Amino acid sequence: MLHAGQIWLVAAIEQHSPVATLMRTHWAWPIAESLHFLGLCLLVGAIGTFDLRLLGVARRVPIAAMHRLIPWGLLGFAINVSTGLLFLLTEPDQYIYNPSFHFKVVALGIAGVNAGLFYATSYRQVFGASPSLDAPRRAKVIALVSLTAWMTVIVCGRMLTFYRPGDCVGEPGVLLTCTPK
Amino acid sequence: MSIDPFLVWLESTALSEWVVGSPSLLAFPGILALHAIGMGLAAGLAAVLDLRILGVARGVPLVEFRRFQPVLWGGFWLNAVSGVLLLVGYPTKALTNPVFYLKLLLIAVAMVLFVRIDRIVRSGAAATPAAARSLRRLAITSLVCWSGAITAGRLLAYTYHRLRA
Repeated sequence: MLHAGQIWLVAAIEQHSPVATLMRTHWAWPIAESLHFLGLCLLVGAIGTFDLRLLGVARRVPIAAMHRLIPWGLLGFAINVSTGLLFLLTEPDQYIYNPSFHFKVVALGIAGVNAGLFYATSYRQVFGASPSLDAPRRAKVIALVSLTAWMTVIVCGRMLTFYRPGDCVGEPGVLLTCTPK
Repeated sequence: MSIDPFLVWLESTALSEWVVGSPSLLAFPGILALHAIGMGLAAGLAAVLDLRILGVARGVPLVEFRRFQPVLWGGFWLNAVSGVLLLVGYPTKALTNPVFYLKLLLIAVAMVLFVRIDRIVRSGAAATPAAARSLRRLAITSLVCWSGAITAGRLLAYTYHRLRA
């Protein structure tokens, strides 16, 4: 069933992609890639420093003050979702059948749920009380998971090119990691 | 004088052959992945410092922000090492491409700007109007340099003329 879903998704994107023509012009792809790297830096810079603060770096800085950086991390994320979609909507088979992309999506999901957990469980504790308190253990665990998840996202993203799907031979796994005939 | 004999020699070294030819994921793919992480740490931290100077997250004292500097330096050195390994792998590809020298120049300028910013912050004079003005100018130039360096780096894959000697 998952396989059929993947095949359907690739076909649907290939038939209706609104950006493929644009992305196949000479410099569109390299420019989108450069923006994807710039967005990565913004995201890591903002979210990474906030996570490090939760873990105890620069303890005299109020956590609420550090949190002002988060919108810039979200801007980086938005840039990367947009440019990432441009790639996906242009060459769907290169991503939908790529095991490195599957791991990247899982890591993104973990990062997302983890961020949600932070706001659901720790946000108020961390921002209330004294301006420069040490974050509770739970928030530290969340920060560590966040750093790990984002590093995994970067590694999987960079590895995409080494896991390009070939033609399917033999029995496939849970998800297709090859291009079906 | 041509540098070709040097490039031929470099490409024949065991290290170069390992970087390019080893089937291990720790070779070329792993080095590239580390280079991407180092970029995120160095350029990301520099960008956040620049944004702070330009008025984002004013509640974070600039002096306290120095605590994050080891991350920037860590990213820088990680990329110096991984970058040298990538260069040893494909010396001709990089050294015959002007964009590569532009990238190195932009990173060098960006790091000099970072050191100059830090000197002002450390001096404790960052709040004086003159120092604040220079800080802003340095921060804007730094953002331009890092963006340029990252773009140049990405474009290396599209602008080279010769892959190997």
